[in-house]
Amino acid sequence: MMRTPNTKHLYILLTMLLFVITDIKAESHYQIVTHPSVNEDSISKNYLRAIFSMRPRAWSNDLIIKVFVLPDDNPLHHSFAKEQLGLFPYQLRQSWDRLVFSGTGQAPTTVSSNEEMRLRIMNTPGAIGYLETAYIDDEINILQIK
Amino acid sequence: MWPTAKDLLDNLQIQGFASQAFMATSDNDVFGNTDEGGGFGFTELGLNALFSPHSRLQLSAQMLSRRAGKDNTGVPRLDFAFLDYRLYSHEANQFGIRFGRLKNPFGFYNDTRDVPFTRPSILLPQSIYFDRTRNVGLSSDSIQFYGETSNAKWGDFAIQFGIIRPIVDDRDTEISLLGPRLTGNLSPDVSLIGRGLFETPGKRFRLAVSGIWFNADYKPGVKEAGLINPGSIEFSPIYVSAQYNTERWTLTSEYALRKFRYTDFDVTDLDILDFYGESFYFQGEYRFNHKWEALIRYDVLYTDRSDRDGSEFAALRGKPAHSRFAKDLTVGLRWNITPRIMARLEYHRINGTAWLAPLDNPDASMTSKNWNLFAAQLSFRF
Repeated sequence: MMRTPNTKHLYILLTMLLFVITDIKAESHYQIVTHPSVNEDSISKNYLRAIFSMRPRAWSNDLIIKVFVLPDDNPLHHSFAKEQLGLFPYQLRQSWDRLVFSGTGQAPTTVSSNEEMRLRIMNTPGAIGYLETAYIDDEINILQIK
Repeated sequence: MWPTAKDLLDNLQIQGFASQAFMATSDNDVFGNTDEGGGFGFTELGLNALFSPHSRLQLSAQMLSRRAGKDNTGVPRLDFAFLDYRLYSHEANQFGIRFGRLKNPFGFYNDTRDVPFTRPSILLPQSIYFDRTRNVGLSSDSIQFYGETSNAKWGDFAIQFGIIRPIVDDRDTEISLLGPRLTGNLSPDVSLIGRGLFETPGKRFRLAVSGIWFNADYKPGVKEAGLINPGSIEFSPIYVSAQYNTERWTLTSEYALRKFRYTDFDVTDLDILDFYGESFYFQGEYRFNHKWEALIRYDVLYTDRSDRDGSEFAALRGKPAHSRFAKDLTVGLRWNITPRIMARLEYHRINGTAWLAPLDNPDASMTSKNWNLFAAQLSFRF
C-alpha cells in the first residue's frame, strides 16, 4: 500500500498528541493540597522537602504544620516522594524515625486512602498532603511548587 | 487565643516499641549466658511521647527498658526528656535550643541506637557503638544548640552542638575505663559534643563529622586512700560518617579515632595511659522489595592503634592479646512482616574480643579468640 505524505503527517501529529496527552496526565494525576487556613499559594521545592522531612513546625502565619501521608507502600506516596521530594519512601521513613526516637520531631500522620486524606485535609487547620486530582474540590487549596 | 483540650490532645504523639532477641555464641558471652545453647537475654522496650503546646515549643521524653547481660537488668530508665525551643524559623531554615537530658548526637545511629527499626542490624557495629560503655555514649544532661539550613542546589546542612554532663556512674563503664579492682566512683565533668551533617537534595550522599570531648573524675574508694589519687579521664573521639543511597542499595561507612588520656592518678599503670583507639566499618544494605532486606558488614576495632595486635599489651599485662582487637564479619536478613512488625536473622564471624562486656566475661583469659554469634529478633512498634 502506498502511504501518502498526508497520512505520514497525520501519524506524526497523532504521536505528538499522544505525548502531550500522557504528559498532561502525568502532571495532573495528583496535586499537593492544603487546608484553606494555610495562606500560601506556591512554595519552593526546597521548602516542600523540608516540610515533609518534618523540620519547619509552623507556617508563616504561626499555624502549626500538620503533615498527612499515605502508607509507605502506596503507589501515590511513592510517586509523590520520588517526583516532588526526590526521595524514596524508605528515606522518608528513616528520617521520621530518627526524629521521633531521638525526641527531636514528629512523624506525619498516615492515612489509609485518598478519601481519608481529603477529609483530614479539609478538617485540619494547617494541614498539608497530596491527593489524586479526582478527589480535589473547592473546599481544598492546591499548592503550586515553584 | 488559648488552645482547647482537644487542640492540646491533637498535638500529642505517643509511640513505642517492644523487641525480643535470641542469641547464641560458639564461645564467650554476649547479653547473658549465650555459649551453652543460646538465650533470650536481650529485650528492648520503649515508650515515647512528644507534645507541642505551641508552634515554637516541643516537650519530649522516652522511657527505655533494656535487658542485656549483667549491666542492663531491664529496670526502666529515663532515656531522654527535654524542652526544645525554636528561636528562628523561616521556610527550610531553623535555629533553636534544647535543654534537658538529650541523646548524644554522634555518628549516624547513636541518637536512636536502642530502637530496632532504626538500626541496620540486631547489633550495631560494636567498634563504634560499644554496648559495654553504652551509658556514657547514650545520653547526657545538656544544653544543645541546633541549626539547619537548606539550599536547592547543594542540599541540607545541619549542626548540633552541646555542653553536656555525661552519665558515667554505672559499673560496666567504671570497669571498662578503670578495670575491675578499683572500688571508687567516676563522676562527670563538663564535656562537649557536636555533629555537622550534610545531605545532598535527594539524600543520595550523606556525610557527617562528629566529635566529643568527654571528661570524668575518679573519686577513690575508702580503702584506696594513699594508694590512688583522684585522677581524671579524658576521652575525645572523632567520627567521620558517609552514606550513599539508591532505591535498592544503602552503602555506609564510619570511622572513629578515639583518644584516651589518664592523668593525676599517681598510679603508673593508669597514668601511662595515653593512646588512640581506632574503629571503622563498611556496610551494604540491599532492599529486594518493601518486605525483604539483606545486610553485609565488616567491622574492625583496635583498642590501641599503636598496638593493633595487642602483643605489647599482652607482654605488659599478661592478658590475652586478642582482648585488644575485634574484626567482625556480619551477614543479616530483615523481613518487614507488616509496617509494625519486623523479624531479623544475623550471623557474625568474629576474630578478637575487644568489645565483649567485662561484666559478662570477667576473666579475659577464659575468652576465645575466634568465635561465632547467631541472633534472631522479633520487633513490634506502635
